[in-house]
Amino acid sequence: MKHTLRQIFRSGKFVFGFSIFVGILLIVIIYPLIITNHPLEIVGQGTFFPPGVYVNVYDSLGSTSYTLMLEDAAAKRIASKLSEGDRTAIKEWLVKAGIPEGEIDTADTEKLLDQWVNNYDPNKNIPGMTNAKRNYFIRLNNSLKGLLSTEGVSIAVKNTETGALEESDFVGQSEYVNVSQVASVRVLPLGTDNFGRDVLTELVAATRVSLQIGFVAGTIATLIGLALGLLAGYVGGLVDDIIMFITNLFTVIPTFVLLILISFSIGQDKRGPFAIAVVIGLTAWFWTARAVRAQVISLRNRDHVNLSKLSGHSIAHIIIADILPYIASYVVMALILQISAGILAEAGLSILGLGPRTTEVPTLGLMMNWAMIYQAQILGKWWAYFPVIVVIALIAFSLNLMNTGLDQVFNPALRD
Amino acid sequence: MKGYRKYFFNKLAWYLVTFVFAFILNFILPRLMPGDPVAAIVARFAQGMSNATGVQAIYQQYTELFGTNKPMLEQFFIYVKNVMRGDFGFSFSQYPRTVADVLKSSIWWTAALQFPAIIVGWIIGNTLGALAAYRKGGFDKVLMPVSIFVSSLPPFGMAVILLVIFGIGLKWFPTSGGYGFDLIPSFTWSFMWSVIVHYQLPFWSLVLIAVGGQAIGMRSMAIYELNADYVKYARFMGIKDRKIIGYVFRNAMLPQITGLALAIGTMVGGALVAEIIFSYPGLGSTIFTAVMGGDYPLISATTLIITVMVLAANFIIEILYGFIDPRIKAAQAD
Amino acid sequence: MSNTMLEVRELTTKYITRFREDVYAVDHVSLKVEEGKTLGIAGESGCGKSTLALSLMGYYFPPLHYTSGEIIIDGHNITGMDPDVVRKMILGAEIAYIPQAAMNALNPTQKIIHFIEDVIQEHDLYVTKKDIYERARILFETLGLPAEVLQKYPVELSGGMKQRTVIAVSVLLLPKVLIADEPSSALDVTSQKMVIKMLRQLMETGLISSMIFITHELPLLYNVTDDIMVMYAGQIVEKGTAQETVFDPLHPYSKGLMGSIIVPEKGLRDVKLAAIPGVPPNLKNPPAGCRFAPRCKYVREECTLHSIPMHEAAGRRAYRCIIPEKELREIYAKEAYRNAR
Repeated sequence: MKHTLRQIFRSGKFVFGFSIFVGILLIVIIYPLIITNHPLEIVGQGTFFPPGVYVNVYDSLGSTSYTLMLEDAAAKRIASKLSEGDRTAIKEWLVKAGIPEGEIDTADTEKLLDQWVNNYDPNKNIPGMTNAKRNYFIRLNNSLKGLLSTEGVSIAVKNTETGALEESDFVGQSEYVNVSQVASVRVLPLGTDNFGRDVLTELVAATRVSLQIGFVAGTIATLIGLALGLLAGYVGGLVDDIIMFITNLFTVIPTFVLLILISFSIGQDKRGPFAIAVVIGLTAWFWTARAVRAQVISLRNRDHVNLSKLSGHSIAHIIIADILPYIASYVVMALILQISAGILAEAGLSILGLGPRTTEVPTLGLMMNWAMIYQAQILGKWWAYFPVIVVIALIAFSLNLMNTGLDQVFNPALRD
Repeated sequence: MKGYRKYFFNKLAWYLVTFVFAFILNFILPRLMPGDPVAAIVARFAQGMSNATGVQAIYQQYTELFGTNKPMLEQFFIYVKNVMRGDFGFSFSQYPRTVADVLKSSIWWTAALQFPAIIVGWIIGNTLGALAAYRKGGFDKVLMPVSIFVSSLPPFGMAVILLVIFGIGLKWFPTSGGYGFDLIPSFTWSFMWSVIVHYQLPFWSLVLIAVGGQAIGMRSMAIYELNADYVKYARFMGIKDRKIIGYVFRNAMLPQITGLALAIGTMVGGALVAEIIFSYPGLGSTIFTAVMGGDYPLISATTLIITVMVLAANFIIEILYGFIDPRIKAAQAD
Repeated sequence: MSNTMLEVRELTTKYITRFREDVYAVDHVSLKVEEGKTLGIAGESGCGKSTLALSLMGYYFPPLHYTSGEIIIDGHNITGMDPDVVRKMILGAEIAYIPQAAMNALNPTQKIIHFIEDVIQEHDLYVTKKDIYERARILFETLGLPAEVLQKYPVELSGGMKQRTVIAVSVLLLPKVLIADEPSSALDVTSQKMVIKMLRQLMETGLISSMIFITHELPLLYNVTDDIMVMYAGQIVEKGTAQETVFDPLHPYSKGLMGSIIVPEKGLRDVKLAAIPGVPPNLKNPPAGCRFAPRCKYVREECTLHSIPMHEAAGRRAYRCIIPEKELREIYAKEAYRNAR
């Protein structure tokens, strides 16, 4: 046993896969201890806020301000409002409005804005321009207002008696606050999802639930497969025929179809994560049963098994003492693959909308499903689904790698 | 030839039995749900539809067509009769379209996407796996981890990755649909071109997944065969390496064909989900919308069609296999 | 004076493991096989017999590598020849090999005749398929195999038939040396007899000129071979005629192997080589001095100091032990006397 373990941990593939998997497990365990927010807490009013550091504007006004003289601040401010695309659009408009093309230089911000301010008229009719384009220019024009001014902004408070606005504060262009001094800052490393929930926190919770689903499904599938495989292989005869018939049937009938039908049939109210895991487990044991049966048949007539039979040991004893130890490595490999397959099956089902129906916990598949329903992939909101895919891929990859490593330890022919 | 005929009829009989079994499952699983099936169905499609008269019409039509108020066995025969005529009733979510009408178009999108992708993936994967086994060294060391990684990805994962890189990032290909939304299906150049362009991302995401899995399988088989006794013997009889490699790869390929037959169900299942990512107008997207609309007749018919497609593909592979592997005929002749 | 068909001088080959370790499985082996003679090679499994068989072909592929020594077939030195030339001119044509597991030695998805075509075309480019078929048919019928076998796949043949087919294919090109590695070990008794009969017939009809026969089974060793070499840990520890080696072994290892035979002839039936306590050494780092010393009953202090050369003994015999022949005989005689009492 110790020797086998040492051999396994000498396999580079296994160790690599194992490290990734343990890493994921550690994150899943430790992260909730540090960030204790409920994973499905809605923090954002609106959909798909991009990843970043969110600083409370109100609080920043109240905190100590510092004056920093940074030369590139103005340039950055303009650049953030006036993208390369906007500059070309401005040029396009100006050309159409009759300014000679040679006089326009999109790199010279000051001159360009000057030309724009002097010439732009929202009521001017440019032939061949769509309504959407016209609105775009109006929006652009509004956002450019005051861009070149060097004045700051006044903060006004409404007088409760007269209702008049009174200046209470003034923010200059070179004033800064220290983020660590602002009372309320929220870091959303992966932004928010379609419901305004913190994607990272949700992702960690989803990973935990998906791993649990995979583990439950994998264990159920492996146990059923092992039991039926042992029964078919060891007992043989009619029992074997019946089990093999069913096994063969289900290896041809697509499992995914069964999953769809069963999940749909059990109804939304009963479809919790655990129920889904059980359903996946119940539809995934065929491969394991097949493989175990083949192994048992090859073991059945070995000398040590015959000896045990002659000594009058019970079937249970023979199976536990003389057969199980020989197929243990095989069963472990099957379990690893089943866990990985279970996680993928949940994800597939959930994307179709047949996953766990829950408001308590997210799963990786549900996160994909929500992102797909809100068309995150078409809107380019990558943070809502890409991290999910990465986690699914990492889990499956680490498990497969462990499996390949084990395979090479136990089947020396596959070594290079 | 006698051996082959026996093999053929054995397989045919087996697949018929499997089909009957799958058919019964398809019928019975949804009806096993607790409570009154008609009420459950009404409750479900009432959620999906706003049009009250439409609900009433479908409900009556459905009860009549499938005799949901009759005993189970009778329902089954009515179901068989209807299915034989290709009549699956109306779609709840796309009323007044019939299920058959909805499926008629999506079947072809799926078939034309999945089967070529699986075959191309199989061919590329086996070639790479064989090369890895034969050349070993650096090629093998790079190809293997990449293959394991790629085959670990679910097809929808690969779909998302390709979508992000080539659709959103590089903008080489459109990100959704089977053709440009401003076009009407027709045999014009612009439509055809649009179909081809939209085909690329879904197609290659399925191909890449298949390549990974097949390469791993082929590599193991080829390594196993390369160590076989006949290889050593052929070498010592002075046969050149190139010819021996030919023997080995032919023999290693044979189990890969049966492997494909066994894996095709899983592959199709995964590919259906990948369709959703691209909003590809195939069966996967159909199930997606059907589930969202609680469209029971559509789900039931789609799963049946998928099962039939997979069984048929399996059957064809096994029949071809019987032609290629001489051992099949020999084994049946005894 | 007969011709020497195969002469091997100080041949050394090694396996390179995947951890880049060298394992010398054949260590300075020299041997000679005369025309019309059969040389037997005996030893426990793991002693390097099968590796010797592979090494004698003069054609190496990983993990087996040539290190030093010479192989001379019918007067032609084939060491140092281009491997591709060896493959075309020598393998199958001059020296042929029957593998241990002949059951699986034929490509399962190829008809026998197609393999034969591949073999012959490799050595003779201008022969037609029709000629090949005729040649194969005549050879098969001479050897008592039905010509229909040619049109069959290996799966359609029984175990014994497969083995005999492999033998027939091996001698298609009338090789001067045939190396048979345990050709009958996996067969039932009847098939075994037929295989042995067939091997004898090959020699008698002149289809092959000489043979090297590797086996576990004592009766075969005695009945089939003219000379015997005993191998231990990659080295030859004793050589002599079949009669001498089986009934009057000198080296303690041979003595142990042959030890179970008490009554000649009668006792030979179904007797395998005797079991000696312990296992052959790991060849990654063989013991210094005599490699058999750790298991030897008569081990002395000097045994482990230096490597032991072969010593000449009476007749054309030789053995690898520091104890002189006379003293060894005395030890064995005393032991026999003690056992008899």
